[in-house]
Amino acid sequence: MDWVTLIPLLPALAFVVLAPLSRAARAKLVPLAVAAVLGSLGLSIAAFLAVWPGGHGEVWQASVTIAHIGDRAITLGLALEPMSAIMLLVVTVVGACVQVYSLGYMHREDRIGWYYAVLSLFTAAMLALVLSDNFLGLFMAWEVMGLCSYLLIGFWHEQEAPRLASIKAFLTTKVGDLGFMLALAVVYAEVGAFDFATVLHHDWTAGTATLVALLMLFAAMGKSAQFPLHVWLPDAMAGPTPASALIHAATMVAAGVFLVVRAFPIFEASGIALTITLWVGLITALLAGLLAMVQHDIKKVLAYSTISQLGFMFIALGAGSSTAALYHLVTHAYFKSLLFLGAGVIIHAAHTQDMRQMGGLAKKLPVTSLTFASGSLALAGIVPFSGFWSKDEILAVLLHEHQYVAFAIALLAAFVTAFYVARLWFRVFTAPTQQEDLHEGHRSMLVPMVVLAVITAVIGFFGPTLGDFLGHEIPWPALGTAAISTVAALGGITLGWYVYGRRTSVVNTQALKQRFPHAYGVLANKYYFDLTYGYFVVGGYTTLARALATFDARVVDGVVNGVAAAWRSLSAAGWTFDGRIVDGAVNGAASAVRAAGDKVRTLQTGSVRSYQTLIAGAVVLLVVWILVKGA
Amino acid sequence: MTVGLPHVLTLAALLFGIGLYGALSRKNAVHVMMSLELMANAVNLNLVGFSRFVTPEAITGQFFAVFSMVVSAAEIGLGLALVIAIYRRKRSVELDAVQELKG
Amino acid sequence: MSTTLPAAAFYLLAFAALYGAISMMSTRNVVHATVWLLEVMLATAGLYLVLDAEFLALVQVLVYAGAVAVLTLFTVMLTLRRREDAVRPFPTAWGSLAIAALFTGAMLLAIRGFCPVGVEMPAIAPGIEEFGRELFTTWMVPFEVASLVLLVALVGAVWWTGGDDR
Repeated sequence: MDWVTLIPLLPALAFVVLAPLSRAARAKLVPLAVAAVLGSLGLSIAAFLAVWPGGHGEVWQASVTIAHIGDRAITLGLALEPMSAIMLLVVTVVGACVQVYSLGYMHREDRIGWYYAVLSLFTAAMLALVLSDNFLGLFMAWEVMGLCSYLLIGFWHEQEAPRLASIKAFLTTKVGDLGFMLALAVVYAEVGAFDFATVLHHDWTAGTATLVALLMLFAAMGKSAQFPLHVWLPDAMAGPTPASALIHAATMVAAGVFLVVRAFPIFEASGIALTITLWVGLITALLAGLLAMVQHDIKKVLAYSTISQLGFMFIALGAGSSTAALYHLVTHAYFKSLLFLGAGVIIHAAHTQDMRQMGGLAKKLPVTSLTFASGSLALAGIVPFSGFWSKDEILAVLLHEHQYVAFAIALLAAFVTAFYVARLWFRVFTAPTQQEDLHEGHRSMLVPMVVLAVITAVIGFFGPTLGDFLGHEIPWPALGTAAISTVAALGGITLGWYVYGRRTSVVNTQALKQRFPHAYGVLANKYYFDLTYGYFVVGGYTTLARALATFDARVVDGVVNGVAAAWRSLSAAGWTFDGRIVDGAVNGAASAVRAAGDKVRTLQTGSVRSYQTLIAGAVVLLVVWILVKGA
Repeated sequence: MTVGLPHVLTLAALLFGIGLYGALSRKNAVHVMMSLELMANAVNLNLVGFSRFVTPEAITGQFFAVFSMVVSAAEIGLGLALVIAIYRRKRSVELDAVQELKG
Repeated sequence: MSTTLPAAAFYLLAFAALYGAISMMSTRNVVHATVWLLEVMLATAGLYLVLDAEFLALVQVLVYAGAVAVLTLFTVMLTLRRREDAVRPFPTAWGSLAIAALFTGAMLLAIRGFCPVGVEMPAIAPGIEEFGRELFTTWMVPFEVASLVLLVALVGAVWWTGGDDR
């Protein structure tokens, strides 16, 4: 069964082949990347079928030791078991759809080769993350995906918005990754290993478990864009739409949820971590949903929708059911990526992302509108689409755990979800047409959408099967819960139709905005999160950096320059000293000698007689002296 | 009174003094040379006197005087040749005329 | 030989020498000075005879009186442009006089103090024969060197005054 290794390996090889090539060569080898992901899809289906009959439990495992710390070995490995098998299908199906779709969507793009290379690397990383049998490998794949997200968001780096958005995404998730690193450290200190088998069966004390769980939750919040680390996801829409479909709807953002699912025993060992998770999810789901109501950019609506739906998954986790969360993760992956791909076609057709300029696409883009409807209904939670089943499961769990407040909030969030979905659909598809030459998407774009739409429609019926597969029960929803959630969803859609869907606008949204300017302002400014972060975090950081730079320039450089200046003046003084005093002494000595010589020179009269006189005089004196002395 | 060594020496000293005066004070080069000869003469006289009175057998002084004469002769020969050479250049034998070495 | 110098001869000759020297110094005529020099030389020769130095007296006459004085006269004549130039004014140079007087005084004092022998004169006085013998035996080397000195002076004098093949 070692061919399971090929599942993440094929896309990785596609990246390795494409990355070092020139732009033109890469563009030619794009089919290779598509083939790789299709190969992984095939293998994933085979892997699923291999696991399917056995039911629960691990089917295959392989690991390699990468390091020794003391007498302990650190291993990385892959393991195939039901959870990973399901996730394999999700990732490869969505990944294959996206790659095929991109053939049409990115058709005219110059750097399409690099796009496919990074996409392949991402797919490989996500597959490795899902198959990983230990936290360390999960973390490494986690980081690689963060890098690919950065590269893809900032794909059109010639423009400013993608550049800034990619940095924002990377840094915000990096804040969360700090939690992950610290959690790994605590895990190692506590357990001494990273693999799931050892860690999850360890006897965790409530305190340590809470610490680890909260740290991992923090990481998951970053990656899955929960409040307050959600700010990067809307900006990440600056990247190519198919990339957003894969990364920011279906897979990468789901990795946070997946991490919590993997580490669920630790969460369960600490009761408080689950409560916090629940509330994080509730807040996110409701507030993000409200934000989605006021967006004009179609992709931003979907982005906030993703944040909100991820909140739902966190609600499920917080309520104690990792199975429900995983269920919603799977369904969400399919219908959200479908919605994004549809949005791509819409944007292509309308040449704009602003919904206020769209309208009447239903007639001109039939396939798109049908598939988009499938996804929209799933998102709203209308039976029989997949979203209904998974969302209902979450609500059921809440009720089961007697979390009535949470239930009410979640229901409200579901209502809001339905509302903004309706708003989007009516605006885009049934509002009066504003543009003339709208045309349907290319076949390469439509086929994946159809595939996803079909899956969205039917997968809901496999809920209990999934539950059996994973080992936890996912029962058919109780009639009461189903009724309540359906009422909420229909209510939202009706309201949406009432405001946006009718021929003549009864509700004047502009007047509403003017009547409640503060409420609208809060929503329009995204609860001032970006402003707050920008002011405090970024602003604080830049102020600190500037202060340090000033310190460096003034004080440090001042000291250095001061030392240099002092040295220079010292050497100047020394030079002066040398010039004046030393040279003065030397010159003085020289001139003294010359003066003396001048005086002595007068002896050289050149006159023989004076010489004679001197000599004679000297001799005479000498003689006299001798005589005097002798006497 | 009897004449002895002191008288000879006194004479020689006087002659030498006169010659010294002449050598120092005359401006004419030839005259200076003549004064020098006078001084040399006085010296020779001294030597001979000592020889006669102190070492009469060995007559050392006389030999000394002979060689002194040789040197004086050489000296004056060269000196006068020098004077003539200078005269050819300078057209004068005044000592004051030759001051090229004035520093 | 007599044991004392003949006083008369000595004093006469001494007077002659001194007079000639003083005259040589005081005359303003350089030609006259030359002649007075000659006179002094001759007087000195006589003094040598008085002191029993016959050879030396002869040499004195030959060399000094004969050659040196004559040479000096020649030079005077050669360096004289006009006849009138022979006479030149001569102010007394007191500095030189002082030095000379000082020296002479010192010498006289020295003679008074240091003279080892008085008026007595030893009897022995060798003649020319002994002189010659001594010259060529004891004083052989200085004799040869003296001839060399004279040669050098000869060549030098010829060189300085032009020589034949300039």
